[in-house]
Amino acid sequence: MKVYVNQKSVDVLPGMTVKHALTSAGLFQNIEASAKICDEWGNELGLDGALSEGMRIYVKQYKD
Amino acid sequence: MKKWLAVFCLSLFLFLLASFAFGQEIEIRILHINDFHGFAEPDQPLGSDARLGGIPYLAARVNELRKEKPSLLLSAGDMIQGDNWANLFQGESVIEWMNAMRFDAMVVGNHEFDFGQEVLKKRISEARFPILGANVEGLAVLKPYVIEELKGVRIALIGVVTQDVPLSTHPRNVAGLRFADPVKTAERYVGELRKKADVVVVLSHIGFPADRVLAEKVKGIDVIIGGHSHTKVTKPVSVGKTLIVQAWEHGKALGVLDLVLKDGKVIGFEGHLEEIRPKEGREERASLAILKKYKERVDAVLSERIGETEVDLDGENVRTRETNLGNFISDIMRQASGADVTLINGGSIRNSIKKGEVRMKDVYSVLPFNNYIVAIRLTGRQLKEALEHGVSAVEEREGRFPQVSGLLFNYSPSSERGSRIREISVAGRPIDLDREYTVATNDFLAAGGDGYRAFGEAIESSGDFSAVGGMMKREKVVYSDSGRWLRDVVAEVIKERKRIAPRTEGRIAEIR
Repeated sequence: MKVYVNQKSVDVLPGMTVKHALTSAGLFQNIEASAKICDEWGNELGLDGALSEGMRIYVKQYKD
Repeated sequence: MKKWLAVFCLSLFLFLLASFAFGQEIEIRILHINDFHGFAEPDQPLGSDARLGGIPYLAARVNELRKEKPSLLLSAGDMIQGDNWANLFQGESVIEWMNAMRFDAMVVGNHEFDFGQEVLKKRISEARFPILGANVEGLAVLKPYVIEELKGVRIALIGVVTQDVPLSTHPRNVAGLRFADPVKTAERYVGELRKKADVVVVLSHIGFPADRVLAEKVKGIDVIIGGHSHTKVTKPVSVGKTLIVQAWEHGKALGVLDLVLKDGKVIGFEGHLEEIRPKEGREERASLAILKKYKERVDAVLSERIGETEVDLDGENVRTRETNLGNFISDIMRQASGADVTLINGGSIRNSIKKGEVRMKDVYSVLPFNNYIVAIRLTGRQLKEALEHGVSAVEEREGRFPQVSGLLFNYSPSSERGSRIREISVAGRPIDLDREYTVATNDFLAAGGDGYRAFGEAIESSGDFSAVGGMMKREKVVYSDSGRWLRDVVAEVIKERKRIAPRTEGRIAEIR
């Protein structure tokens, strides 16, 4: 399943979550406490949120 | 007296019905949560200094809001699996709380299947509210829909769950079940229920992007109450004439949707999310009692003696060499998944266990992360590259150092990074770089954690995934059990064997 993290495409398995997509994009371990993860409509997502094919997620700083 | 009471009630009912029929505006309220995952205590979300949620506080707010308007309390699924507070009782604690809270209905989520169908049937039998699943075929205890009545307003609730359930849980959990297309299923029931109800609500566990598609394709849905994607929809989203809402995750927020109806139609709405902020002294008593009761049981279960080890289990040296604990865990993963070999990161093992009694909490401290087992087909070349990566930072004691099962290898730590592996054998034979091997690992490495790229490359080339007859059908991925944490699999094996004595066997050798 292909999803996009800050425009970067990553492949994850069905059942994997936002956390896995961030890991796959190399962002999870360096993510700042002030960051929020949002979908393409600007809604905040939980790290355990399910992904779907073609989904676009973005890491945004809290102060944005 | 009884007769007069009956007459009074009947009159009141007819009055309310008449009011509705004669064009009065009626307001009703829908309260909703989703993806609770057993988080009974407050949780600290990413990007926040504050702790949010906690069932005593959530319940207190629900009760306050219920007093203001006729209300329904609904859940959009994934309630019974996740945190220890739920998992250690296979969701019984959650259903007990939902009963105490007088939930009106919930849709089954994909994680409701994680403990197997027999456990799910038991949970459904315990629930004093309907559990829905209109697109689940083969599980008769799930109702496709229910019609609730509030102040004379008939509200149809249809439940749909993601078709990906067979791809994200163990195949045995969904054996004999079929998950039909949620859009087609909703279309079928909406057509039928528009004739019987004033308001049509879909309780959906398919995720926010799919909810938008559902709203676009199926006309006649007034409200979609969503879950699965853990989306914080702060205000209702309108797609055509349908409102979509979702209340984030873990009970950190409560969704509140007020609908105004006239002549059997929704003519207005106001909706928002309320973050649940714990405040001492504001706990709802029944929920607090249930929280405490199961917390005590959690402590008791974690302190339970599950077996005995005849040797010290070494979790200290897992970042530099083969250890008996690394062997034990990776052997279990290979056995559970039916893989040829296992490769995990030593960093996933966080503690040692001393010779003697083994308690549940010892296993939980060794494997504190919510990792699960995945098995992926890698070529011998990819497996070798993965091992090269694993030993590439042994000097820095990086967590990527491998612990393995089903294979032996030696390496030269003084050689250049990327060229340290000398020999690898699988099942007693030299590795064939062009052959495929099934490799068990954890979901963290499968997603590219600790810099492992081989699994991601295999997933990328894996093609489409599909579920056929309740079994996973895919090219490279042969096992993925996202509903069962690795620590629980390991604890189960210790319970079964009672006594363990794993040893190092020369699986990983240094060449000096």
